[in-house]
Amino acid sequence: MATPAISIQNVTKVYPIPFKREKVTAVKDLSLTVEPGQVYGLLGPNGSGKSTTMKIVLGLVSPTSGTTEIFGRDSTAVASREEVGFLPENPYFYKYLTGEETLNFYGKLCGLSRARIRERSKELLKLVGLESAADRRLGGYSKGMLQRIGLAQAMIQEPRLLVLDEPTAGVDPAGSREIRDLILDFKTRGITVLLCSHLLEQVQEICDRIGILHRGAMIREGKLEDLISIQSQTELILENATPALLAEIQAMIAASPAKIVEQRKPQKTLERYFLDVTTDQP
Amino acid sequence: MTATATAPAPSTRHQIFSFTRVTAIASNTLLELVRLKVFYFLLIFGFIVIGISFFTSKMTFQEQHQALKSASLGAMSIFTWLLAVLATAMLLPKDIEDRTLYTILAKPVPRFEYLLGKFVGVLLLLFIALSLMSMLFLAVLYFAEQGAIEQTIRTTPPQDLPAALDQVHRSTFNSDLLPGIVVIYFKSALCAALTLLISTFASSSIFTVIVSVIAALIGHIQPIAREAYLSSGNAGPLAKAFFALVALAMPDLRALDLADDVIAGNVIPMLLFLKTIGLGSTYIGVYFLVGYFMFAGKEL
Amino acid sequence: MIIAFLMLLVFGAVRMRFEADLEAERKALYFHGAKFNLSLEERIGQMAFVAALSGFRGPIADGLWIYAHVLWEDVQWGRMKVAMDGATELQPRCIVFWENAGWHMAYNASVAAMEDKTQPRLALRVKAQHEYWRMGEDYFLRGIQNNPDSATLYTRLGSFYKEKLEDHAKAAWAYGEGAKLPNAPVFLHRFAAYQIAKIPGREREAYDLLKQYYLNGEDEQLPTLLTELGKLQEKLKIPPEQKIAIPSAPHP
Repeated sequence: MATPAISIQNVTKVYPIPFKREKVTAVKDLSLTVEPGQVYGLLGPNGSGKSTTMKIVLGLVSPTSGTTEIFGRDSTAVASREEVGFLPENPYFYKYLTGEETLNFYGKLCGLSRARIRERSKELLKLVGLESAADRRLGGYSKGMLQRIGLAQAMIQEPRLLVLDEPTAGVDPAGSREIRDLILDFKTRGITVLLCSHLLEQVQEICDRIGILHRGAMIREGKLEDLISIQSQTELILENATPALLAEIQAMIAASPAKIVEQRKPQKTLERYFLDVTTDQP
Repeated sequence: MTATATAPAPSTRHQIFSFTRVTAIASNTLLELVRLKVFYFLLIFGFIVIGISFFTSKMTFQEQHQALKSASLGAMSIFTWLLAVLATAMLLPKDIEDRTLYTILAKPVPRFEYLLGKFVGVLLLLFIALSLMSMLFLAVLYFAEQGAIEQTIRTTPPQDLPAALDQVHRSTFNSDLLPGIVVIYFKSALCAALTLLISTFASSSIFTVIVSVIAALIGHIQPIAREAYLSSGNAGPLAKAFFALVALAMPDLRALDLADDVIAGNVIPMLLFLKTIGLGSTYIGVYFLVGYFMFAGKEL
Repeated sequence: MIIAFLMLLVFGAVRMRFEADLEAERKALYFHGAKFNLSLEERIGQMAFVAALSGFRGPIADGLWIYAHVLWEDVQWGRMKVAMDGATELQPRCIVFWENAGWHMAYNASVAAMEDKTQPRLALRVKAQHEYWRMGEDYFLRGIQNNPDSATLYTRLGSFYKEKLEDHAKAAWAYGEGAKLPNAPVFLHRFAAYQIAKIPGREREAYDLLKQYYLNGEDEQLPTLLTELGKLQEKLKIPPEQKIAIPSAPHP
């Protein structure tokens, strides 16, 4: 059995309040496992402990109790971060650096050689679609471009695990779609992704498993399709069905214990419609 | 959707300490700091004071060239000190606010290297600022010397000329100018290290700046507290405890000030110079390490 | 944070003695071995100024000095003293400030007080004169405290005691202290002896000193010394065989 990408075992994090006796429990006895190659969505309302959990995984914060491992290595060890790439929410990179210089900087931090950094920068700038903006300072980048360069820096050292905090927050639908496609591309390459997002529709599209935190505790966790499917109902989408065929199906259902809950034309998502009408026609 | 393959393990082997990481952070910090408006303001003010001292020194009542040296060395000292405090105070808060700190520490970068890289960046900035001011100061001193030489040749009898010219040379370029400037650098580096320590627990840049300035002011009178504590005076126990606290907790900034000796033309013994910079280096090292100790345990 | 503070205190304890020794070494260099003897309050005042103004105290002191002389032209002695206090506070190592501040108070201000036509009462004019003398003396003495290696200030102090207070004992002390310093003018030790000669009961002491100087050689055998030596020989009734032959002044 492969070593889990992330293994959180009974982690609790308590923050003392200065000058007061009471404390804040941000995370309460949390356990979760993310298998290699999965896209895991960590969800929860504001203040539920998502950010704290992420910081514990990244070793930025030490748990009060419990252990966290990344591919079998203690997450508090600096060496474990060789395997991790992180994109924070609304990241702000150094404005005066160009896209290429930014990747160069982060590549050096990861201990890559100059030649390797050059190679990876070229690859990643192509992957995230910023080749033409490589020599432009980040101060001139749009929000979507900043998120994409953020993804590129997270990937610079070829990590096996990506931790993404609200990667599409504030990005327009086209940019958002591109970022989601990138995440799916990472998944096909076998990269594990831990994703935090409030945009539940997007989470639904890309995640394999989700965990829902509430007041520091995990209240629901499991495969996405298992959690959100209505077990007692079945969806059947037909194309080019004739009225006669539909009538026959309805008759069969009427004769059985099942019943039709709803019959309607399937709809595109508003996002799909928006992209279809705004993308330039050939 | 499931993965069709698992990503290969990374090929880099983690180094416990890496100069490359430190220099990457240091050079990036320097790039960031030289873009600060306050750097240019302070540099320009420093240039103005040094430049003006060339003219105002002609109106002084003090010994020849003492006023020029006094104003120039004073400007260099105060402006590098201000730069040290202001540049260092905003380093950590800015990175935390912009979340760049998280992107850096999420890489295999120990907190020690991050802090060291930031601090080295500040030291490089101070070096550049002080070097630029020193070059202007030496140029101004050279022109002042040339003027004094011309006047001496005009007004001194020939038999007294060699001694008079020698006196002019000794009152301008004495050999202790450079040690004096080096000590100014160490003093500003000490203030930067102290500011960095304060910023590791401070809640904002403003708080860091205020506390650093107060600490520097107290540092100039720390020798009095030390003397009062060490002497067998008739101060009460409360007063003695207060003197002890100031003497122990505050840096002795007067120890890192050889400007008066340089201006007076005293020859600074090499041993005294080495002891002074040794003390300065020790201060810098200790303050940095205590700052790291605070930063290592900081919840981000 | 408490642990960090304790670490700083321990560091403070370790470096304290080293810093005290380093300070002593620097003072010895700066004051050329002379003893530096300011009170705690004076040093706090100076250090606070130094801390507050750091490198700009030179130009600011010059500015105050110029202002003091403007006030002198306006004969505003009180405000002049305030400006001179500021200049000396900022640049305590500038001999010129102390020397001239003392001279202005002890000589110019005291004479102006005696000639003050707006003050008809002599007693009050004398009181003001003495007050200015005291201020002048204070400048010389504080200047010496800050610059114990300055023979110039001892010379001015001695002249003040001699000319204004006619206190020969104090004048002799001041000249004598100045004469001990490496940069003392060549005549200062003789000046001390001349003042000792004027103190009743110390004529013998003065004679021995002046005789010793005479015997040092031609450089010391100056007209004033010879005159004083001659007077003392008469006063002390030195036996003829022990007397030093004083050449008589040539007839015009």
